[in-house]
Amino acid sequence: MAGLQVTDIQGFILSSYASNMPCATYMMLRITDYKQGRTWLSKLYADITPASDRKADYALNIAFTSSGLAKFGFSAEEVTTFPQSFQDGMTATHRSSILGDQGINAPENWKWGNKQSPVDILVLLFAANEDILAEQVQASKDSIEGTGGIEIVVVLAAGRQPDSKEHFGFLDGIGQPVIEGSNRESKQFDRTGHATVVKSGEFILGYLNELNILMPVPAAKGMVNFGINGTYLVFRQIEQNVSAFWKFLEEATRKADGTTDLDSMERTASKMVGRWKSGAPLTKYPLVDPVEAAEVNEENDFEYQAGDRDGFGCPFGSHIRRANPRDSLNTDPVKALQSSKRHRIIRRGRSYGDRTKDVFVDDGKERGLHFICLNSSIERQFEFIQQTWINNKTFAKLYDEVDPIIGQHTRESLFTIQQEPVRCRIQHISNFTTLKGGAYFFMPGMAALRFLAGI
Amino acid sequence: MKQVILTIITNINPDKSNDLEKLLFEIESDLEHNSILKFPAITLLHFACFVIISGQGSETYLIFENNFDDTIDNYLEQLTQEAGPGLHKIYSCCSDYNEINYDKTRLITYLRHAINYPNTYHIGNVGRSAVRIQQECQLREQVEDYIDTQLRIPGNKVSVLPLRNGIQNFARTNSLFSSIKSVGPRQTFIERFLPWLHVTIFLIGLIIFLPVLIPAGTLWVIVLRRVEKADMASKDLPNVNHLQNLVEREDKIAQNHIATITTVKPGWFRQITLRMVLWVANLLARTSNKGELSGIPSIHFAHWALIENGKRLLFFSNYDGSWSSYLDDFIDKASRGLTGIWSNTVGFPKTRFLILDGARNEAAFKAYARASQLETLVWYSAYPKLTVQIIDKDSLIRENLYTSLNGEATTEWLKLF
Repeated sequence: MAGLQVTDIQGFILSSYASNMPCATYMMLRITDYKQGRTWLSKLYADITPASDRKADYALNIAFTSSGLAKFGFSAEEVTTFPQSFQDGMTATHRSSILGDQGINAPENWKWGNKQSPVDILVLLFAANEDILAEQVQASKDSIEGTGGIEIVVVLAAGRQPDSKEHFGFLDGIGQPVIEGSNRESKQFDRTGHATVVKSGEFILGYLNELNILMPVPAAKGMVNFGINGTYLVFRQIEQNVSAFWKFLEEATRKADGTTDLDSMERTASKMVGRWKSGAPLTKYPLVDPVEAAEVNEENDFEYQAGDRDGFGCPFGSHIRRANPRDSLNTDPVKALQSSKRHRIIRRGRSYGDRTKDVFVDDGKERGLHFICLNSSIERQFEFIQQTWINNKTFAKLYDEVDPIIGQHTRESLFTIQQEPVRCRIQHISNFTTLKGGAYFFMPGMAALRFLAGI
Repeated sequence: MKQVILTIITNINPDKSNDLEKLLFEIESDLEHNSILKFPAITLLHFACFVIISGQGSETYLIFENNFDDTIDNYLEQLTQEAGPGLHKIYSCCSDYNEINYDKTRLITYLRHAINYPNTYHIGNVGRSAVRIQQECQLREQVEDYIDTQLRIPGNKVSVLPLRNGIQNFARTNSLFSSIKSVGPRQTFIERFLPWLHVTIFLIGLIIFLPVLIPAGTLWVIVLRRVEKADMASKDLPNVNHLQNLVEREDKIAQNHIATITTVKPGWFRQITLRMVLWVANLLARTSNKGELSGIPSIHFAHWALIENGKRLLFFSNYDGSWSSYLDDFIDKASRGLTGIWSNTVGFPKTRFLILDGARNEAAFKAYARASQLETLVWYSAYPKLTVQIIDKDSLIRENLYTSLNGEATTEWLKLF
């Protein structure tokens, strides 16, 4: 087992900080003057949290887009040592088509991260409570204004909901891979009844990946191993339209006499997600939400081939079966799992906005998810999941349907629920999420940060 | 019905290469309604493409990839019947086509002379014609709608046997499907049996000649390791503009197309090795009739063909899903077979013992694949929404529509929807 260089890896790569630091703010910055930007970074450096630092009051981490690195002096030639996806950025035409970012989700409609509002740097701030967070945000703003050369594009507040549920009402963040060497296997096992250990090279550059290969590490002229201990961070601000979601389901499951069928509504919503609201997987609990399953901690202990080959529990097209098909995409479950392991991401997102008081009422407030994921290959991990699983109209032999929760739907969109004696199809699925911004970042190791800051 | 894969390779007249590109552009802009080659009229066709490659010298070639049903004679007859004058225009841009006026017989003769057969090929949905595939898709789509209407009837308790009877009646009374009552086997017994016989004979041959093969094989391995150590893997990254041109054409329909050309490593050793590997791969590929090639379930038609007396190797594939998922399948499931073939071409990532490493080196392999990929100037699919797996599902629905099934089999059959 490869030991991870925890003093060089940024803390956010190994920890979400969620248990100690439930409050977070993400600052998107733009560099206007390289020299001042470099001074700013050299001052900030002492505050950046490495993985070896176990402090619990606040944490700060930082990542750069390719334009950010270019402004920090990376030549065009040096930038080509990064993968094409990172060089292009999330908004390049071809990347949008891979990601399915079309129509209302197209970059031109975003609030930030697009041509109108480009981003160079992401600063992630985490704190134990709102007061500390406010202090830290203020300190960051002061330092940015004080040094100059950097301007704030947007400040995005986030906070875990008290019960870890996302806005549609479902427990989130359950199925996470464990990085080999991070010593979190038992923790994940206790938490969810299951731990999939994935080679560290799938998430951190400079380590062996699932194929036992060292992927090439981006290089700078002055630092050959610039990319080592770094990772790629994908950020997407996803607005959730809670009332549209529940109103659609209310209509779709209305009884023949015109009354609302609460049981059917909740069941159908859970079929679309693949889990009950409690987080209990439909594969293990096909009939009813066990509610206390969260306490018995086995939300993640299941495979599809043994328990749910026909999709009668968790439908083939449900969100969690698309986002992580586990052992289901090959007749041989062991081989299927091996392939799936090469397409995993670590999710580090947090909800933003207030919880809705009445899910059927549009209160006009924006809420959603700041989706963040980490991977060592944007192409093979995040983009692959998005293109080959989430938005694939023929995923698992389905026809003309995409992810019911985060997919972008047309008038003909369907969602098929496999059941006996024959499947039923939910017709005319509408859009429940809207993309508001996004970018591909590189989160460098501590030594690479010193190189960038010239210290 | 049998499927055939071949390419038609002709020399482009340098003075007319601009005209040719214009013609191809016009076809690609509207595959169905252009004035030159209206693909849907060629009902025997599954997939077709046009690519242009530069020769070893100053010459350039036009390659027309054809994946079709029935015999070569019948296909060329239909192709010229439906698109003769258009093809005449295309081939008038080629230096060895000297017809001033269109003449069907002479065009067929010309095309026939230019045929290049694959060394190794694979067909995903063995034995199903393009027409059958489209018809079975239509059947499934309409039965799906029928099921929906049954489920929508208030108070209607749908159960297995009445539902199946209802579906049968629906299909029987629908004029579109009245012709599909009976369907022959996908392959005849001989077609299924022969490939296994060939493999068996090959294995018996191996055993008989073992006393000779052991020293010969040892010698071969020694030479192989020497040449492998001396081989240089390409460090070139694909040109950014080239990459852009390739990706812009991708992900428009359920399938994608890849065409690559690579140069075979010089010398008789690599030449013989490659020919042997292609021959064995083809022998084994013939036994695969369940839709998968080496565990990859997403290939409709693929083939390798040596051209220019074995100097270069062509690869064509019509596959489901994205380029990156296809290449990942290569790496995950078929890296040894592919490495065994492509390790004999210049620039391939470093290998050991012909089949090890190579394609497993993901970054280098993907860069090699992109760098050797040709721009597909025209590409046609007869069923743009269907994957190999969906076509198989549709066939199962149709093949068991009227057969007598017991309760359990009927339940399984309904799961296909």
